[in-house]
Amino acid sequence: MAYSEKVIDHYENPRNVGSLDKNDPQVATGMVGAPACGDVMKLQLKITDQGIIEDAKFKTYGCGSAIASSSLVTEWVKGKSIEEAAEIKNTAIAEELALPPVKIHCSILAEDAIKAAIEDYRSKNGE
Amino acid sequence: MVAVLNYFQLFGLEQDFELDSQALSSTFQTLQKAVHPDKFAHASSQEQLMAVQKSSTINDAYQTLKAPLSRAEYLLKVRGVDMPDEQATVGDMQFLMRQMELREMLEEISSADDIDAALFDASQTLDQEYLSLMKTLSAELAENSELSNQSASENLRKLKFYQKLNIELERLEEQLLD
Repeated sequence: MAYSEKVIDHYENPRNVGSLDKNDPQVATGMVGAPACGDVMKLQLKITDQGIIEDAKFKTYGCGSAIASSSLVTEWVKGKSIEEAAEIKNTAIAEELALPPVKIHCSILAEDAIKAAIEDYRSKNGE
Repeated sequence: MVAVLNYFQLFGLEQDFELDSQALSSTFQTLQKAVHPDKFAHASSQEQLMAVQKSSTINDAYQTLKAPLSRAEYLLKVRGVDMPDEQATVGDMQFLMRQMELREMLEEISSADDIDAALFDASQTLDQEYLSLMKTLSAELAENSELSNQSASENLRKLKFYQKLNIELERLEEQLLD
């Protein structure tokens, strides 16, 4: 199966790989995994008091599409409010990366990682 | 209409997770012999076709029952347990953290001073965690209550991550020991 150019670009030059300090109250961590392929994804967001995502980092163990999906969402969420970030749909990720049907679950993983991180932020902030 | 036997019934086995694997493989051979094409050399083409189909069903059943994870999944299906979509993600934070650590452990093997020892340790760790989860799964499937079956289906999803880790480890072994 051939990867799209965008997937290859993100795979070869992943953006925002790494970790943020998980003990920082402004940092939210979202972790998700896909049993179908065993992929694991960690997405961390640094969120200002105004609810704006100022930084995002990821670490993903999985195939090229999973890495590209997480790399892409770190680019997309930066500068967005958490409400806007929560609106990101897996279909948009899949479309942007031209993922084939068998790789749709990678984009679902990325969408769920954003949701998990936002949930973590809300529970950290007692919402 | 002919009632369709499930795979356990086809093999004359109790519908349990724990099974006698020797009995499974000897029944497999007996069943396959009965539908062997040689036996149908002079039969009608319809009978030949049916024998081929039967043989393929027996084969599917054997493959499904032989491997523990597919057997557990099939058993839950037979019991009518609602299972999450294949694509549904797992959100158990503690479990996923551990998965990350295990992935990191595999990643660090290639830069270890003693690669053989690192590979051995990794395989020990994976086996241990896999077996412990498998033991829980087996007990839950034996209990066969609504709650235990639900929990078994969740643990089955977790075991799939270990299956994937084992494939990764095998790939690493091939790569590093060559």
